[in-house]
Amino acid sequence: MYRLDHLSKVFDGGVVAVNDVSLKIGTGERVAVIGPSGAGKTTLFRILNLTVRQTGGRLWIKDQEVTHLWGSPLRRMRRIIGTVYQQHNLVPRLRVVHNVLAGRLGDWSLWRALRSLIAPRREDARAAHQALSQVGIPEKLWARTDELSGGQQQRVAIARVLVQRPEVILADEPVSSVDPTLAQGIVNLLVELSGTFHTTLVMNLHSVDLALAYFPRVIGFRDGQVAFDRPSVEVTDDLLNALYAGGSGAVQDTTDTLNGSLSVRSYVPPPRSH
Amino acid sequence: MDPSPSAATFPRPDRTRALFPGLLSLCWLIAFVGSWHLAQVEPGLLFQAESRRNMAKFIAGMFPPELSGDFFRLLVGPALETIQISVMGTVLAIAIGLPLGLLGTASLTITGVLNEFELAGAPARRAARIVPYACARGLPSTFRCIPEFVWAFMFVRAVGLGPFPGVLAIGVAYGGMLGKVYSEILENQGMRGSEALQATGATRWKVLCYGLIPQALPQLVSYTLYRWECAVRASAILGFVGAGGLGQQIELSMRMFNFHEVVTLVLLLFLLVATVDFLSGTLRKAIA
Amino acid sequence: MAARTGSGVLGLPPGPRGRLRGTTLLVWGGTAGLILWSWHGTRFDPIALLGAGGRAEILAYARNLFPPDLASAFLAKVLYWSLETFAMSFMGTLLSVAIALLLVFPATRTLAFSGVLFERDEAGRPIRILRIGLFLGARVVLNILRTVPHIVWALIFVFAVGLGPFPGVLALGLHTGGVLGKLFAEAAEDIETQPLEALQATGASRLQILVYGILPRVAPQLLAYSLYRWEVNIREAIILGYVGAGGLGQQIQIAISLFLENKLLTLILAIYAMVTLVDYLSAFLRRRLL
Repeated sequence: MYRLDHLSKVFDGGVVAVNDVSLKIGTGERVAVIGPSGAGKTTLFRILNLTVRQTGGRLWIKDQEVTHLWGSPLRRMRRIIGTVYQQHNLVPRLRVVHNVLAGRLGDWSLWRALRSLIAPRREDARAAHQALSQVGIPEKLWARTDELSGGQQQRVAIARVLVQRPEVILADEPVSSVDPTLAQGIVNLLVELSGTFHTTLVMNLHSVDLALAYFPRVIGFRDGQVAFDRPSVEVTDDLLNALYAGGSGAVQDTTDTLNGSLSVRSYVPPPRSH
Repeated sequence: MDPSPSAATFPRPDRTRALFPGLLSLCWLIAFVGSWHLAQVEPGLLFQAESRRNMAKFIAGMFPPELSGDFFRLLVGPALETIQISVMGTVLAIAIGLPLGLLGTASLTITGVLNEFELAGAPARRAARIVPYACARGLPSTFRCIPEFVWAFMFVRAVGLGPFPGVLAIGVAYGGMLGKVYSEILENQGMRGSEALQATGATRWKVLCYGLIPQALPQLVSYTLYRWECAVRASAILGFVGAGGLGQQIELSMRMFNFHEVVTLVLLLFLLVATVDFLSGTLRKAIA
Repeated sequence: MAARTGSGVLGLPPGPRGRLRGTTLLVWGGTAGLILWSWHGTRFDPIALLGAGGRAEILAYARNLFPPDLASAFLAKVLYWSLETFAMSFMGTLLSVAIALLLVFPATRTLAFSGVLFERDEAGRPIRILRIGLFLGARVVLNILRTVPHIVWALIFVFAVGLGPFPGVLALGLHTGGVLGKLFAEAAEDIETQPLEALQATGASRLQILVYGILPRVAPQLLAYSLYRWEVNIREAIILGYVGAGGLGQQIQIAISLFLENKLLTLILAIYAMVTLVDYLSAFLRRRLL
């Protein structure tokens, strides 16, 4: 499914997020990526889901080189990759049904997408309802997304991925913003779903326990490089200690870096009354 | 602890970074003195005998306000026309401002997470995107910076008298303002939702409609309605150059020193603005 | 599509309530009706404008305007008029800020008669009535100042003191003073009250509370409003000039009535330059000072 060849990403300002990474991920595999904060895992994920373009090295997805894709081929490739984000990245003012059905945007024409915003088709609403049932919150179909709790919103995000029917699911710390009691449930859910639909699953995790429990293959990532790449049974305490020793650094939020803003743009709206 | 610090240890305010405020104060002072002279400000003039006489004449002439049925009948048409001009003008402004605003939103067309993958390492494509962006930024600026009043008499010359040139004037001038503010509003939206939508393979149009506009809608609508309120006031004045509405009657009444009519007209204008205020308030609530 | 208002017959939860949809429909219908009525009433005719005939008319007019009159004698005068208009907008905005600040004390509800500063108030009824009266009076004055269009103010003052930019300054000052006064008062009313309570506890009078507690807190907002109004005022200064308040506006009126199209274009370019300049200055100051 994935082949990375000396992949690296250097941001403007000289920040090296990913440094000469080479690895292969087979179709249908389940892989966990662990490592300290700021190691560049999120950047790696954003390269893998074609949001960020690497500055060095090459990337193949399904044996097709994707480095120079743009336009329709790029979107077709994105369509087969489903992403679950740490902060669910839903659109707050939309109803849940629209956020879930957004998974289909890769397939829909613009006209159909707009019509669905005004009034979703019956079969689409049913598909969304079914996806929400699988994640346990079918009754929230018509609720406004910002009325849901954090855990519920994360499940909506997963429902969105379900509706998309991708060939690979990338989950970037999907449980870090969620109650620890719910975390295991969500990881379990994603693992089950990937099994049912035979999708490749790559998950970025903070919790080493969850990683070792659910994933047959674990990649340790530190300072932008692969520290180790082992079957989970071979991951020893020594390896883990070396991985997490003295690691620090602020979590690089790629979205905000790309949008060039870590400061709030000041916009004073014009006074309402005249 | 010695409660009375000696002079040697008393902290002094840091004067080394006072350059900008000092410069600014100087500029302000020059501007003030210069403007006082250029604008021929003479407060004494207000209190001269002749001025006082004129003011008294004006105030006396205002009462009683003209409230005859004939006068009102004369005004109904222009009053409604004023509202119509404001509505059509705002609609035209949206038609002009929305496309320009969308094109001029950097986070949509050239920068940020929606464009990073496609434009990295492709200078030709980036250049092809920047050109329409720059035009979409420059054009509204031209439209905005010529007052609608000036547009109005140009359009009157071009298409004739009546409400139509008024609509065009407001459409163009306000279109420029809407375009600029729409871009600012859209660029201020958080991009997380849009990033996720893009990752499902959606085109930028779909990302716009699902991710950006639903979030920005209250702000977009609010500003547009505010512009409509301003448009009503502007429409009333455009009549001074023949572009329809109450303005023509206001000018007539002033020129003929019929101050009692002017009072009525001002009250009528107040009523119009209050009506528009109310309607726009309803619309705002419907969208929120 | 009917799944929205269904009652779960298909196993789906019910959609957004029907009554709400009814109101939304009314609003959209009303808006559409308003637009159609306005379209008809203003004889809006984009086809006439963009069709062959319309385009020819516009081009003919545009060709009339070119080339702009750039004789140096005229340009010097244009520069003077531009500065005159700038000065009118500047002084007018300053006057309006002065008026607004003068009236902000009585016009702020929380300073005038209600709110946290009056919780332990022991004033008698007559004083309370006086306070409310002052508040209402201030608000009414501000309302009048705002409602009378600036152009009517300008006509009044031209009538009173004669032609020239001074009546323009007064008109802008009064009208904008009404606008800013309301905004200032609203800003003053919206801030947190704890610091004000604290000041009151030290024995400060209400005026002192205004100056020490409220104004510093809302100063950035007030500055932003004032700078924004300056951008509006430079445009209005043109309009006021048209009715006799001097500057570029008055020259526009003369050029139109004497059919001096080439001079007209120069004046329009000067207006564009002035407005852009003030917009830029306003944005610059807002960035630097806020």
